[in-house]
Amino acid sequence: MIGKFWLKVVLTCSLLLILSSPALADTIRIAVASPFTGALAAYGDNVKAGVTLKVDKINAQGGIDGKQIRVEWMDEQCEPREAATVSSRIAQNRNIVGVVGHLCSSAHLAALPSYLRHGVPVVAPTTTAVSISEQTKDRNGKTWAFRVVYRDDYQGEFLAQYVSEILGLKNIAVFYENNDYGIGLKDAFVNKAQELGLNIVGQEAYVGGASDFTPQLTRLRGRNPDGLFISGYYPEGALIAGQAQNLGMNVTKFGADGFDNVDYITLAGSAAENTYLTVPFLADVAEGDAIEFLENFRERFGREADWMSVNAYDAAGILLQAIAEAGPDRAKIRESIASINSPENAYQGIAGSTYFNDVGDTLKPAFVKMVKDGQFVAAPVQMD
Amino acid sequence: MFEQQLINGLTLGMIYALIAVGYTMVYGVIQLINFAHGEIFMLSAFLAVTFITVFGLPIYVVIFMTMGCCALIGVMLDIFAYRPLRQSPRLAALITAIGMSIFLQNLAMIIWGSRPRPFVQEALPAFLRTPALSFGEATVSWLQLTIFGTASLLMIILFLIINKTRVGTAMRALSQNRTGAALMGINVNRVISFTFALGSSMGAVAGIMVAIYYNTLYPTMGYVAGVKAFAAAVLGGIGSVPGAMIGGIILGIAEALGAGYISSLYRDGIAYAVMIAVIIFRPSGILGKSTVEKV
Repeated sequence: MIGKFWLKVVLTCSLLLILSSPALADTIRIAVASPFTGALAAYGDNVKAGVTLKVDKINAQGGIDGKQIRVEWMDEQCEPREAATVSSRIAQNRNIVGVVGHLCSSAHLAALPSYLRHGVPVVAPTTTAVSISEQTKDRNGKTWAFRVVYRDDYQGEFLAQYVSEILGLKNIAVFYENNDYGIGLKDAFVNKAQELGLNIVGQEAYVGGASDFTPQLTRLRGRNPDGLFISGYYPEGALIAGQAQNLGMNVTKFGADGFDNVDYITLAGSAAENTYLTVPFLADVAEGDAIEFLENFRERFGREADWMSVNAYDAAGILLQAIAEAGPDRAKIRESIASINSPENAYQGIAGSTYFNDVGDTLKPAFVKMVKDGQFVAAPVQMD
Repeated sequence: MFEQQLINGLTLGMIYALIAVGYTMVYGVIQLINFAHGEIFMLSAFLAVTFITVFGLPIYVVIFMTMGCCALIGVMLDIFAYRPLRQSPRLAALITAIGMSIFLQNLAMIIWGSRPRPFVQEALPAFLRTPALSFGEATVSWLQLTIFGTASLLMIILFLIINKTRVGTAMRALSQNRTGAALMGINVNRVISFTFALGSSMGAVAGIMVAIYYNTLYPTMGYVAGVKAFAAAVLGGIGSVPGAMIGGIILGIAEALGAGYISSLYRDGIAYAVMIAVIIFRPSGILGKSTVEKV
């Protein structure tokens, strides 16, 4: 009798072990960390849509080694505080083998220490802050964090060149959000602009979530700028554009990837006209797989895909390719992603080819969009 | 530029003042800081947009409907959340107020979603955005002028209600001594309900004006505005209605000038610093009554 009892105990324990061991579970779990509620929830939706399309495609093809991919959606509201909690929850859940995220640079920077300490490979679809490059390696010099988007210094310099050479602006007023993204982008822009001989008439900071920008705009208006650079996200950007119009400032507005959302036009209305922005992906120049992706996206979600969904699709693609090659093991997945390090073995995604340097950064071209008659269209002149 | 900053500050201050009177009246009557007042302000913006988009009503009708609805919400708030706690320690009611604030904010997120949305511009007369006056470099838009006008008118009406009507007299009696007022035959609960209704409808007008002025509304907009207005009420002397008006205007101007001349990052800090400075020298606020504790 006692023998039978112990047999049962051993069987139950081993069954539990099998069930809890990630290698033998019948699903592979990855996490997607983004803001799914809060002011930037619309961005999180875009990331969710991109990842969903990729994961569904792979699952429909039979998954990886016969295992279905399961995604844990982790909401961090783009708050560094929340992101730190979310990342340690992900790191401690050994069933989660990799992360696609985060969306905001500030949140990403707050989340990275947990990922590095516990060894979780993470592919960021949209984080452009320069300072992230210094935080991607663990103590042993291994890179755990990768991103599939260009950095703000590239984007800022590109924008300075564009407004100077293509748009012919001379006197630029600068508005920036007081966070990692806003400051990094602004610094890169201002340095390059001064190099190109543009006149920066003033720099004004604002706090995310603010709604009254008239004092700063009033101050800038007195210095007669012909261009207004807004280094931040679209909710505040739309308010700044609207209030500038109310104060009678008739200037060309320009921003970066943080502006790429239809809500910018909805919120700013007619003040959105004549806004230029850099984006990492432009539907008008898409080819091959990208066209198929855009069609699938339209069919499934009933709207046009924007660059965030495209990058999320590619980021998930890179992570899942690594899982397919290395199996569900965090350290091996990291090695597999890190080995994508030259143009020859680059990952061919829908936003072009991606390969990483030593700190997990990638270099990709930038495109320019503008608002015309209440819609985003490709700017008439692109720049190489 | 100074004139323009002053005008911007005055516009902001008028709005703060309208919200602040809601805090101060409720405090004057039942010594409760109604933290959910900021949420009524937020709800009014959403209700107004809903009335316009769903029922297609003109803006003038919508303003009165929203005032009515918010007055009703304010009264309900009192009946369901605060009245059961009337005899409890003041801390219990205060915590309930914070709880109601969180509840209403999340309710709005469930109903309308958390994304910011624009006000329905089509519902507004087009002339509002055009400049009405200009002197030197400064311009005042019709919208700003409308905000000054509406806020001033409402303040005068409020002043008349409090000082010239029977229910106003009852409110003042209640703020002096609730038990005494009850013994004189005043229906205490009815007067308190009236106070909530009056304060909430003022907050409702402020909510609509802010949504139009900034052309944006979101479920968390009540929090910052509420805290600022509360600071304005304290600055002016909590419990005093003219004090709340003056406090709101001072705070708005301090904020605009601070952001314009010192640092836009510390604009909230500057506004609160002004409040703290006043409180240090006049602990009961500008127009507050310094009460002597009788032993």
